[in-house]
Formats: sequence, C-alpha cells, structure tokens
Amino acid sequence: MKPFTLATSALALSLGLGTAAIADGDVTKVSVLDNYADIAEAGFTDSLVMAQRLQRAVNTLIEAPSAEALQTAKEAWLAARVPYQQTEVYRFGNAIVDDWEGKVNAWPLDEGLIDYVDAGYGGPSDENDFAVLNVIANSSFTLSGETIDAATITPALLEETLHEADGVEANVATGYHAIEFLLWGQDLNGHGAGAGNRPWTDYAAGEACTNGNCDRRAEYLKAATDLLVSDLEWMAAQWAEGGDARTTVMADEDAGIIAMLTGMGSLSYGEQAGERMRLGLMLNDPEEEHDCFADNTHNSHYYDGLGIQNVYLGEYMRVDGSLVTGPSLSDLVAATDADLDAEMQSRLSATMMALGRIKTAAEAGFAYDMMLERGNAAGEALIMGGVNGLVEQTRSIERVVATLGVEAIDFEGSDSLDDPDAVFQ
Amino acid sequence: MRHLLVTAAFCLASTAAQAVDISAAVDEHILPGYAGLAEKSRQLHAAAEAECRPESPALLAAYGEAFDAWVRISHLRFGPSEQNNRAFALAFWPDPRGATPKALARLMAVGQGSLGTLDTFQTVSIAARGFYAMEFLLFDAQFRAAEDAETRCALVQLLAADIADTSADILAAWQDSYADLMRNAGSNDIYRSEAEAAQQLFTAASTGLEFTSQVRLGRPMGSFERPRPNRAEARRSGRSLRHVVLSLEGTRDLVGHLSDDDAQIDAAFAAAIARAGVLDDPVFAGVADIQGRLRVEVLQQSVETIRQVIAQDLAPRLGIAAGFNALDGD
Repeated sequence: MKPFTLATSALALSLGLGTAAIADGDVTKVSVLDNYADIAEAGFTDSLVMAQRLQRAVNTLIEAPSAEALQTAKEAWLAARVPYQQTEVYRFGNAIVDDWEGKVNAWPLDEGLIDYVDAGYGGPSDENDFAVLNVIANSSFTLSGETIDAATITPALLEETLHEADGVEANVATGYHAIEFLLWGQDLNGHGAGAGNRPWTDYAAGEACTNGNCDRRAEYLKAATDLLVSDLEWMAAQWAEGGDARTTVMADEDAGIIAMLTGMGSLSYGEQAGERMRLGLMLNDPEEEHDCFADNTHNSHYYDGLGIQNVYLGEYMRVDGSLVTGPSLSDLVAATDADLDAEMQSRLSATMMALGRIKTAAEAGFAYDMMLERGNAAGEALIMGGVNGLVEQTRSIERVVATLGVEAIDFEGSDSLDDPDAVFQ
Repeated sequence: MRHLLVTAAFCLASTAAQAVDISAAVDEHILPGYAGLAEKSRQLHAAAEAECRPESPALLAAYGEAFDAWVRISHLRFGPSEQNNRAFALAFWPDPRGATPKALARLMAVGQGSLGTLDTFQTVSIAARGFYAMEFLLFDAQFRAAEDAETRCALVQLLAADIADTSADILAAWQDSYADLMRNAGSNDIYRSEAEAAQQLFTAASTGLEFTSQVRLGRPMGSFERPRPNRAEARRSGRSLRHVVLSLEGTRDLVGHLSDDDAQIDAAFAAAIARAGVLDDPVFAGVADIQGRLRVEVLQQSVETIRQVIAQDLAPRLGIAAGFNALDGD
C-alpha cells in the first residue's frame, strides 16, 4: 500500500508541476523551436543512415549481381523512404531545405534521360528535348550546343551537367527517384497492379547482360547513390548544433514559428492535396503517382502526412524505435486556445486515418494506380478522403497562425511561393 | 501619464481591423461574375450546337466571350468552384506534361460513335475538358487539320455542353447556399468570423495576382538564358496578354471591395493595366529577345508591386494575412 501511495503522490506532483509550468508560460517559442530542430536533425540523420544501408546494398548488387541482391537493394530503398518522407514538412518555410531538396527528391521525371524506356514512352517533347537522351547508352552527346563527354558516369556529371539539363525540371538525374527507376524500371502495368519489373540481369556482367550497357548502368546507380548519401550528410549537418538550418530557425522566434506553420500548410494544401493527390486523380494518370516505379505512393503520402503531424505534436519516432519528443506547437496553441488545439489535433488524426486507409487498401493489393483509374469510385473515394483531410487541416493551420499572433506569412518569407511552375491550378 | 494613455488608445485604434463589406463583395463581384460566366457558357453551347466547325465566326466569338468571362473570375478558387473539381474542369492550365493534347488525341481516336453522353464525358481526364482543351480543337493546326471532322465536331459540342453545365452548377451552388455562408460569416462553421471570410477573399485576390505574375507571365519568360515563348497561356488563340489584362481587371474589382476603394491601391492596378495596354505583344513572343523580354519583365514587376502593396498595406489594415494557396509547393 505504501509504495502505491508514494507513486500516486509522485504522479500528482509531476502533473501539478507540468500544469503549473504551462500556465506560467514555460513552453516558450524558443523551446518549441529547439525541439523542431531536434526532430529535423533526427529525421535527416535517420535518412542518412538508411541511405548508407541502401549504398551497401547497391555496392553488393554491382559487385555480385543477382536477383537476391537486386531485391535487397529495393527493400533498402523502400525503408530509406520512411524517414525521408517525414522530413518533407521541413522544405517549405526553410529555404535551406527547399533549395537543396531538388537534388534528392525531384519528381516527376522524364526517365528516358537516364536509361532505355518502352516504345510507348514517346520521343522528345515540346517541353523537353532530352526526354529520351538515354545517357547510359550514350557516352557522348550534345547539350545546348556543347559536346558532353559522358565516357565515365560520375557524381559530378549527374549533378553538374545532367540534372535539370536545358533548364527543364523533368530532367531529373539524381536523387531517390532516379535510383528508384534504376532499381525497378518503368511501371508498364498501366492501371493494373504491379510495379516496374527491371530484370536483375540489367546489372549482369558479360553475355548475361540484358538491355545493354550493364557496366554503365551500374556506374550510374553507384554515382547516384553516393550522391544521395553525401547530400543527406550535408543536410543532417545543417540541423546539428551550430548548423546553418538550426541557427536560422533559432535566430528569430516568430520567424521560426512561421517557418513551422508554413511548412505544414504548404505541404498539406498546395503540394500534397493538390499536386500529388488530386491532380493525378483528375488526370487519371498512373504516371502521376509519386513513387510510380516502385508502386510505393501510398507510403509516400502516408509518411508525408505523418511528418506534418510530427511537427505539430513535437514528436518523431526514429528508425531505431526511440522517440524524440519535447515542447510542441500543440502546447503553445493549447495555452491560448484549448479548443483550437483539440480541433487541430483531431483534424491531423483524421488525415492520418484517411491516408492510412489508402495504405491499408494498397498493401492488400488495391494498388494506387488502380485507384487512379477513370471511373474507379472506390479509389476516388479513398484518394479524395486524403485530399479532404489535408484541405480541412489547412483551414485549422490558418486558424493557428491567427491565434499565435504570428500573422505575417508573407510572400517574401515563404520560399515556396517563388516557383512559377506549380501544376495545381 | 497622460502621454501613456494617449499611446495606449492609439494602439487600440490601430489594432481594430477595418471591416469588409462581405455581402457587397458577394453581390457585386462574385455573383455577377458567375452569372456572366453561366450566360456566356450557355451561349457558347448554343453556338457549338448550331455550327461546330473551327472556322465558324459565331462559334469563335462565343468561345472568346465565355473564356473572357471565366478569366475575369478565375481568381475565385474556393467553395463551389473547388467542389467536384469544377474550376479544373473549366480550366486545366498550365500543362507542363502536355496532358491536354494527349488526352484529346485519345478521344479523337475513339471516334464519334463511342464518345458517349455528357455524363460519361464528365469522367474523362480533366485535361480534355474546359476552355484550354477547346482551344486545341479550335485553334491548334493539328486538330484543325484532323481528317475526322465528325469526331472533332462531336467533341467541340461535348466540351461546350460540359462548360455550360459546370458553369451553371457553380452559379447555382453560390445562389443556393454558399453566398449565404459568406454573408453570414460568424454564424457558421465554414466562416467562423467575418475575418475568416475576408481572409478567403483576400487570399483569392492575392493568389490570382501571384498566378498572373508567376505563371501567366513567368512561364513564357522562363530564364534569361532560356526564354519559353511556347509556354504562353492560350497562345494558339492569341489570348495570352488579354488574360493578363482581364485578370487584373477582375482582381482590381475584388480588391476595391476589400480596401474600401483605396485610391493608392487602385492606382497600382491602373499602372499595371496601362503597361499591359502598351505592350503590343499579344502572345509574349517578344520574350525571345532581350528588349522584348525586358518589356514583359516590367509588366511582371508592376503586378508584383500590386502584390506587395496589398500584402504590406491592405492585409494589416484588415487584420489578416493571406492563407495557403494552391501555388504553395513546387
């Protein structure tokens, strides 16, 4: 009985302290920002660790190609996406992330730039002269009047010459989606189930090599994976103590809170609800899937949504199972308007439920590209459920902005407004 | 002490937001705009039924007038225009992956007999619907030269019927319920206060201006090294510059309601419209050379000036900030 009493009083004491601390305004904007930066550091570090695992799997595939080695690399890629997608909420509002993001996560891409594609893919388009350049098959080509020596495929060639070649954003030569294409190949199943089906022999040596240039394909895959690792190393360092990203966020507490809310709102509305989800549905186009080669779109949407919830709740589950947690936006809002905090939390949860339904159905075999098909009412309802959740939560985010009195989400402060080519119009 | 009191009173006065007459904005800007669109779209449908050849002057005139009516209110992207993707069904652009010509080519290949009814047509890819798709059928050399004139004719009529239907639906939804939601802001859950309704209207105006600056003008401008005249909006029908002017006029009217006809803000609109008036480059073909690009850039700058004025001057006066919009993201 005695120990029980003690435990109870300890609990009461700590609860009392906690309540008092919040009432006294102990949850400060600075402490919320600190935790926000900690979560970013953890998320980008996890992304780095998982990319290094992918790098080891890719090296094995290249050194000793086999069906198993290709499968292991694919699994490593899928796992690497889990922490990375949760960092996307840091893009909008943090210029340092947004300026860098194109190198690691650009999408959609004209994959014919990189490797062989199916005849149905088409040729150069009005928008892109290099849509079928196929650098893996061509050790030399002309770009903007200049002859490019691509005899060796290096990270520098991808990063400095090929990426966004001719100023076209669809020329994606680096990052997760270029690697995804090199592991899976094109998804030629249209609205049917199934991902890309690249044979492991695309990496085989000598006579066993399929589709030609296996050594150059391996060289490309290695260069792209090495680049991904070094890019993530750089970003993780920006969020460490003394790093630029952390310093910027901590420099001005109101601007920092605005960065958090801008990231949440821009990802929710214009980016995820709009460009990634509703647009694909309206166009009935399976190529509008975000992770189209790997058929991983349901996860990409889910973890993007989770990242938004993480920022509000101030929590992040790391890949090793440990939880990063601390003072949150939720605490700040609750201190001035408890009802609004409850509304925000419930709308974030509703979105996660809706995105969870897409994931559940997809994992049971109702693939995301089937959901996108013209006239597929169940698929449309699933996707619109996610879209509506994201749109609703954006309204609440706007109310949070007003309530916290940091109302100047102005266009100068939001880097995400600088891009002229938004599709969601 | 007295000095302190005066200061406090001043602070209170300056934080009290200027009220917006939401009902006037609804009755004088939004409802007439959508009524105009519905009527012009109905006339477009009638013209297409009467004569569907791309050469028909009556059809082309009706198309131009209906498209004009849309562009004037194309900034109103909330409520009924967002529900059921209606605004997208009327206007899918920009189209960086060429989805519109591809989707139309697929429908042309289907043949007249298998296009189906309006109901089934309304389930096709959004890229094949609305004013921008119809522009391809009426003005694009390849579609005009199509041998299968019967299928093209049937498509023109379906698109016109769809445009008329969608426009009528938006108007009906505003008249039936949405206008009252805005008028009665503060007593419903969509608009919990007048400030939320004012914020919605402000966001619409500000997003419309951003779209004109960054997309209508920014897309053809491209980069200094690589201008992109082929990306100009509705260039096949020669309407690119016209859309900039119509959209500026439309947002000017809305901002007038929000700002209580503020003379300084209105002057910024007048300046931008005057610059557009002397540009003499209907499809921004001039961006391909340095002089021409500079002239378009000056116009873009004058639209940016309006954005800055309303963000830094008007928004604080109303006690609001622009909400999130579809252009956020990449």
